[in-house]
Amino acid sequence: MYKIKNPYRPIRAEITGVISETPTIKTIRIVPEEPITFETGQFIELTIPGIGEAPFTPSSRPAMKGIMELTVMSVGKVTKKVHELKNGDIVGVRGPFGKGYPIDRFKGKEILVVGGGCGFAPLRSLMYELFDRSGEFKKLFFRGGCKTPQELLYRGEIADWAKRKDLDIKLSVDKGDSGWKGNVGVVTTILDGIDMDYESGIAIVCGPPVMMKFSTKKLLDIGFKEENVYLSMEKNMSCGIGKCGHCRLGIYYACKDGPVFSYDKVKDFSNIWE
Amino acid sequence: MQYIFSSNFTKLLENLKSDYEIYIPVKKGEQRFYKKYIDFTDDIVIGEVRAFEPLKSFFFRAREIVAENFKSDIPHTSQKPYCIVGMKACDLKGLKIHDYVFKNHDFQDPFYINRRKDNLIISADCTSAIDTCFCLALNVKPYPLENFDINLSEVGEDFIVEVGSPKGKRLVEKYSFLFEEIKDKFLSQRNEQREKVTKAVEKNIKENKIPQQDSFKGIIERGYESDIWADEADKCVECGACNTICPTCHCFLLYDQKDENRMARLRIWDSCMIKDFAQVAGGANPRPELWMRLRNRFEKKFDFFSKVANIYACTGCGRCISACPAKIDIRKILNRLVYDV
Ligand code: SF4
Ligand code: SF4
Ligand code: FES
Repeated sequence: MYKIKNPYRPIRAEITGVISETPTIKTIRIVPEEPITFETGQFIELTIPGIGEAPFTPSSRPAMKGIMELTVMSVGKVTKKVHELKNGDIVGVRGPFGKGYPIDRFKGKEILVVGGGCGFAPLRSLMYELFDRSGEFKKLFFRGGCKTPQELLYRGEIADWAKRKDLDIKLSVDKGDSGWKGNVGVVTTILDGIDMDYESGIAIVCGPPVMMKFSTKKLLDIGFKEENVYLSMEKNMSCGIGKCGHCRLGIYYACKDGPVFSYDKVKDFSNIWE
Repeated sequence: MQYIFSSNFTKLLENLKSDYEIYIPVKKGEQRFYKKYIDFTDDIVIGEVRAFEPLKSFFFRAREIVAENFKSDIPHTSQKPYCIVGMKACDLKGLKIHDYVFKNHDFQDPFYINRRKDNLIISADCTSAIDTCFCLALNVKPYPLENFDINLSEVGEDFIVEVGSPKGKRLVEKYSFLFEEIKDKFLSQRNEQREKVTKAVEKNIKENKIPQQDSFKGIIERGYESDIWADEADKCVECGACNTICPTCHCFLLYDQKDENRMARLRIWDSCMIKDFAQVAGGANPRPELWMRLRNRFEKKFDFFSKVANIYACTGCGRCISACPAKIDIRKILNRLVYDV
């Protein structure tokens, strides 16, 4: 028998925490039986026994070993089941897969992170990694947007981030309420006038397709270089290893060559935002 | 080169039985199908043309269990390795593409590799062509030149034997008592035969105005926005037959058995012509229209593979032409892409 690991076999994992973030979004905490370490931006496949698998990018701090958190919006058959999970339930995990954010390439640079809605999940993981290595970068900026203040993920944590000296943060909602003190408008409206050098800066965008599309356009307009704008592409990932064909994006497979791509790599492919 | 009489060839197969599970083509009506070899029967055809089914199915199963109960082992098949007899040149190219996908990539697929690694490929020349054959347009000759262990060229009742790998060489040495030295007249007979089949395929290519692969470079990019796609996809019924029958198509679907107490994951052949193939859980679909999926199928074969592996993922076997209930014809699409755009 040939000795290659079975890439389709999930590792058993236990649910050790469930947090309701918003009415449609939950964060689950899982402890895999065999330790899984990941780089921020890589994704895993979560198995719900008897139901199936779906891809998620962990939202937790990569440096936190042994534990992984996934922030999941209920949209399909697997994610609906994820929302029914309780402590002690058994799930499966495969991965991590693909290439995450090339953090080493960001050394000495100003970094702008732009998040929209559910895109905050992978970015939370990224932010913790950036905070852990904060001394390596010139300055960190975070610009986030979502529909309403109620839909804002990780409110408590973001309030703590706002106190950090190494981070310049601003949030916007499409529609405010009486308690909202931040900006009102789509996220692209808070990308102007940032105190950074766009020409040499790094931008990272994650969010719903439309938000990614318009944010990328805006970032290029204000001076970011195509190769410095990093996108995390949501494709229909399944095998995770470039075999099943589901996630092809031009000459790449998002699962193994991505899911993080710089814009110059993918801009010529059709329908990248869908 | 060696020579083997058909009576000795039967003996060879008998001997191979102890080491291999042998599959061999048999004729039913106008088609050829693979069947497990038990005895030498009259319906066995070594030459003629490719079988009805794509031979990928031996190594990349249409449906198989790939994980069970979180166990780390590979659900294994304890059977002997396959010996596939009579594989044609087009299917050898199909194997080459599957080898690239499942073996020579950044990740290896243990299921494919386990089935592929110890098998014996006894290929054979085509001794006739059917009207959907267009291998020559893809620079595939109707007789194997590479990727086999031994190749058989049928001359009369008997076969010329060519060795194509160290494994093939060992085999011929081991059973040397079954082989003869070749005579020149057989070789010229083989050449005549090869020429005859080549002419038949050339005729197909000419009649259907099929372009040569040297003219494929850039056809997808140039024809990307053309209305060829909508036009050609018009009658497609989204059955996926063109994918499943294709010896190069490798896409699959992983799905879990609906049993919450027992985790079992299956892998089945999938089709990029089906609407939800690339759709994400949130509903976004990069290819919502059929014509986009038809274009994608061609993009994968003639753009993606040529860029990442320097090979066109089509063998010219013509299976998709016969399989399509809507009569969507790859020969015509290639013609339009090369000459009408
Ligand atoms: S695309 Fe059609 S002709 Fe080409 S290899 Fe596949 S089935 Fe054969
Ligand atoms: S075989 Fe024909 S009808 Fe079926 S999916 Fe392919 S192109 Fe469409
Ligand atoms: S997820 Fe299977 S090829 Fe990318």
